Amino acid sequence: MTTLTFLGIESSCDDSAAAIVRSRPGQAPEVLSSVVQGQTALHAAFGGVVPEIAARAHAEKLDDCVEKALDLAGLRLDDVDGVAVTAGPGLIGGVLSGVMLARGVAIGAGKPLIGVNHLAGHALTPRLTHGLAFPYLMLLVSGGHCQFLIAEGVDRFHRLGGTIDDAPGEAFDKTAKLLGLPQPGGPSVEAEAALGDEGRFVFPRPLLDRPGCDLSFSGLKTALLRARDALVAEKGGITVQDRRDLCAGFQAAVAAVLAEKTGRALLSYLALSPAEPALAVAGGVAANRAIRAVLETVSSKVDVRFIAPPLPLCTDNAAMIAWAGIERFRAGLGDEADLVARPRWPLDSQAAPMIGSGKKGAKA
Amino acid sequence: MRPDPVILAFDTSAAHCAAALLSGGQVVAEAWEPMEKGQAERLLPLCQEVMAQAGMGWGDLTALAVGTGPGNFTGVRIAVAAARGLALSLGVPAIGVTRLEALAHGLPRPLTVVEDARRGEVYVQEFDPDPGEARLSAVASLGVEGCAPDVVGSAAEAAAAVTGGRLLVQPLPLTHAMALIAAGRLDRPQPRPAPFYLRGPDAAPPADPPPVILP
Repeated sequence: MTTLTFLGIESSCDDSAAAIVRSRPGQAPEVLSSVVQGQTALHAAFGGVVPEIAARAHAEKLDDCVEKALDLAGLRLDDVDGVAVTAGPGLIGGVLSGVMLARGVAIGAGKPLIGVNHLAGHALTPRLTHGLAFPYLMLLVSGGHCQFLIAEGVDRFHRLGGTIDDAPGEAFDKTAKLLGLPQPGGPSVEAEAALGDEGRFVFPRPLLDRPGCDLSFSGLKTALLRARDALVAEKGGITVQDRRDLCAGFQAAVAAVLAEKTGRALLSYLALSPAEPALAVAGGVAANRAIRAVLETVSSKVDVRFIAPPLPLCTDNAAMIAWAGIERFRAGLGDEADLVARPRWPLDSQAAPMIGSGKKGAKA
Repeated sequence: MRPDPVILAFDTSAAHCAAALLSGGQVVAEAWEPMEKGQAERLLPLCQEVMAQAGMGWGDLTALAVGTGPGNFTGVRIAVAAARGLALSLGVPAIGVTRLEALAHGLPRPLTVVEDARRGEVYVQEFDPDPGEARLSAVASLGVEGCAPDVVGSAAEAAAAVTGGRLLVQPLPLTHAMALIAAGRLDRPQPRPAPFYLRGPDAAPPADPPPVILP
């Protein structure tokens, strides 16, 4: 095994990112630099990420991110062994900007180009941060995704279940929007919830009555809207305390559903008798302390190690893409000079599609 | 500036994938393929084929010229992102050239470029002789706006009927003109190429207002 240094590029949602990761034989891999330029301010007025606005920003920011990442690592492009880029799933305009930039960089520098599935980037992160051995259980929970995966190998993921509609991060954002709180909704709803009474409004816990690990969050959003509108009808608005209680009730419902489904996913995973059982989380929602706490409790009950990578490597970043590129390259997977962007790209190609199973194929 | 710049120009701003290679002051190889989709896959192989026709490769380039639109948003980003990536790895400048500048190249001025922008609108830019500000407009209002009467561009026929001027034609292929324009800009530093949209992103703020927060 030789030392490998990879450039990673990520642009699948609203973060333009580039990073350099180095892997030396017999040593823990090292993130030499990780640059993330967010777009929160650009989308703030719209209550969600606007794909065209995101694509416009990526097209003009990504090369700058790459240069910064190289500078911070003290390297030149010549020193890099390969270029890894998110090729999907995600917002096509941003993914396409990243893929074209990466193709230009790789072809001009004569370096191998590795296309990485964004979800695989998240799912392989515990190996970058904690050197986890396969198989481990992964809960990917973000603004765009929610699924339970058993990571069996660099290119082998088995999906146990996932959301059939919204992702939890999206539900947090919509909750914030419905209650007049700032975006992104995750931190603002969490802060309000900390001051609220979670018992005052009891929101539905969807799909708990059904077997399996699938989840649903869109009904929760509707229930919150109804509760809000009932208060507005009663007194013409909501008080600050109403808002805190609504946030607390909402967050408790999300945490309860995730805890129950995680418990079920853990049982399926433990049936494989893993040597060193571990549950890892990734995605922005994993930053929520209440949710993190219930996940820790659930995994400790069955003696499974709980791992949460540091937040900058939990949310969208390019270090995970560079690392996944290194893992794929070492496994002899893909030098794809003719790489194409894939807006829809399920990680587990064997599993039945959950969302968007139209003629374009499963979304994730 | 080197005495004999070698410039690769490419454009995917509309339903085509096009490239031209300028060397010794002349376009020595070029290609233009009509294409509704698939430009992202085709662009770099096409560039390599064009360079190969002239016995050249990426390492021979002095600069890149890239079409920045206005046109198809995604198409423009495909070319601009590739140009930025190539500029970074090759260490050569990438120079953005708009479609409107390319259409006006070498034609007698004053001149108005009028390109179809769909939705009943046109992209308009006057050259008298220096380029004025490009904008989105309607053919019918060109007369009122007092544009230079001679016109060129895909909406020039309708525009000429309004302005009463001559209908001119750009004899050079788009990327050919872009390479020549970029060659004229090599003597001074250029900003990085950026998509020239001329049209907003079509996003509206949410219609439902947040609730009133009571004291």
